Amino acid sequence: MQMIKLMVKDDVMSGVAKIPIEVDSLTPDNLFGKNEAEIKAVKVWWGNRQENTGDLFEVSVDGAAGSADEVKIVFEGDLTRVKHIGDGMKAGEIEAHGDVDMHCGAVMEGGRVTVKGNADCWAGREMRGGELVIEGDAADNLCAMYRGEMTGMTGGKVTVGGNAGECVGQYMAGGEIVIKGNADVLAGYAMRGGRIVIEGDAAIPGADMIKGEIIVKGDVEMLPSFKYIGVETIEAETYDKYIGDYAMGEKKAKGTLYVRKK
Amino acid sequence: MTVVTDVVCPLCGSVCDDIEVEVEENKITKVIKGACAVGKSKLQGHERIKSPMIRVNGVLKECSYDEAIKKAAELLAKARRPLLYGWSSTVCEADKVGIALAEEIGGVVDNTASVCHGPSVLAIQDVGIPCCTLGQIKNRADLVIYWGSNPANAHMNHMKRYSYISKGYFLPGGKKDKKLAVVDVRETSTSKMAELFAQIEPGKDFLLFSAVRAVLMGYEDIVPDEVGGIPKEKIVTLANMIKESRFFITFFGMGVTQSRCRQNNIVNAIQTTRAGHLHTKGAIMPMRGHYNVNGFNQVCTWETGYPFAVDFSRGFAWYNPGETASTDLLGRGECDVALIIASDPASHFPADAVKHLARIPVIIIDPYHNPTTEFADIVIPSAICGIEAEGSVYRMDNVPIRVRKVVNTDYMSDEEIVERILEEVRAIKEKEGE
Repeated sequence: MQMIKLMVKDDVMSGVAKIPIEVDSLTPDNLFGKNEAEIKAVKVWWGNRQENTGDLFEVSVDGAAGSADEVKIVFEGDLTRVKHIGDGMKAGEIEAHGDVDMHCGAVMEGGRVTVKGNADCWAGREMRGGELVIEGDAADNLCAMYRGEMTGMTGGKVTVGGNAGECVGQYMAGGEIVIKGNADVLAGYAMRGGRIVIEGDAAIPGADMIKGEIIVKGDVEMLPSFKYIGVETIEAETYDKYIGDYAMGEKKAKGTLYVRKK
Repeated sequence: MTVVTDVVCPLCGSVCDDIEVEVEENKITKVIKGACAVGKSKLQGHERIKSPMIRVNGVLKECSYDEAIKKAAELLAKARRPLLYGWSSTVCEADKVGIALAEEIGGVVDNTASVCHGPSVLAIQDVGIPCCTLGQIKNRADLVIYWGSNPANAHMNHMKRYSYISKGYFLPGGKKDKKLAVVDVRETSTSKMAELFAQIEPGKDFLLFSAVRAVLMGYEDIVPDEVGGIPKEKIVTLANMIKESRFFITFFGMGVTQSRCRQNNIVNAIQTTRAGHLHTKGAIMPMRGHYNVNGFNQVCTWETGYPFAVDFSRGFAWYNPGETASTDLLGRGECDVALIIASDPASHFPADAVKHLARIPVIIIDPYHNPTTEFADIVIPSAICGIEAEGSVYRMDNVPIRVRKVVNTDYMSDEEIVERILEEVRAIKEKEGE
């Protein structure tokens, strides 16, 4: 097992402008097989210029790895303007100690990312596999898509310890999202597959959905275009079952929304 | 005294082009006809910025155009996350150079759509839009719906020239031949004229669109008795008005683009229009604000592939409103230098965005003093497009119109100023490369 610690240097985030660092090059796949000096020389984007990782982060490397699976990267320091953590990763592990910026775990295919704090917008965007755990809140567009893309998350599992923002799993086509808290408007918007579990409240979930499953355990602000089907029992709990979204037409309305009975 | 006819109004997205003005001693002294009250005020003008200025020790000092442009270029060339914002109250020719400048400096270029119809642009990207020209609406639309929009106060000539009050080829009786429906959170001057007014609870537009859509699709039975404070009966009436019309048009404004569900309200509105097509013909159109806000989106799309909020920092166009729009960049304190052109973000942006703007170096290009010039570090006055400079603009229905030069001026045009800044930036970069 190899542990790579990357601590954001204090002076990087101390200016009037907090310019984001984009770290999609710092994945276990990419850092595997590199020694400390080589890791320090990996380029990351800081605004419109590329810098050496070693200029923006304190780097320390411990142990050795036989494959990317055995590489664990730990991000520390002020991560609120560190974007694309774990973006595109296929193997290994990333742990972020603190609130992270946008696109955390975007397009990831394998491995595991743990955020010990909140994640900003587009966490797990277009995720294909692997596991993303956000211990705090997730902002808008969790597991959704880049602007203009017609497919969001297709695989993998995402767990959010707190609340989630707008449009959770927009255009989602596969995989599973579990939100322990509430979800803001339009969870599962235009959903095409997969499963979203919201343990708290949800506002107008499932708009334009044509497939997939949304389960809400708290209160729901319902859309006027879902059809009530009846009562169903899931894991010994009683739920009201709805089919929709009928605004898409009867042929397409194959999404299921379960709302726990009070 | 000379009378100039067919003057084009450089104010709102209606771009009225039949205005007559009197010009005396190189000044517009009177608007004879065609313009509304706000348009008249714009055409007649008020006190201008007299000279380019640079802030020295906290005070703006007059300087030459050359000095201001050189200083602006220096700031932009060394910036790590520069923002170039505005571009809606100027002409397409200036926008084109601005986008080239953004690419050159690895900056973010964004226009006022961000705080206006940006969500509409996003929605159109997701689901397309059934659109038409305003001329078609004037001549064919027997049902006009204004949703979250109040043209009687914001686009004052709109109803008269293009929609409810205008007499069209197939609707010679004007409003006698047409119906007007309004959906808004409050009673407005427009809603008072409407045959059907649905006063919706704030933030419930998405639900109402879904309900109307479900009725149009034939699922009236599943719609609950009340949606967003509107009784089902009224929802069915609105759907029936659409069904029974020969051609319906929905105009929508900030009421739906900048409220809960934002761009997805518009996605739903467009889908509702499509549902209407099961029964009749119809179209939908955003009530664009500035006279060339649409033009920037057009130019930006053909130059970069994306309509606004384009980030060139990594050398290619990355477009992600919510991340790359000016309010995001400023609100999150990302940006280190800002160039503002033909816009006044200090008056219109959220407080945290304005606070950050006040902390960083700001270059502003504008004919007039405004709250943003109060804290700007470089102020470059420009000619007023449509009055002192000509160029192309796009009306809200995507029709390009050439705005005219009516009087002469010594001020440089926006296009010339941005062009000069770009030249200076290129010279600096070339020197650095040596």
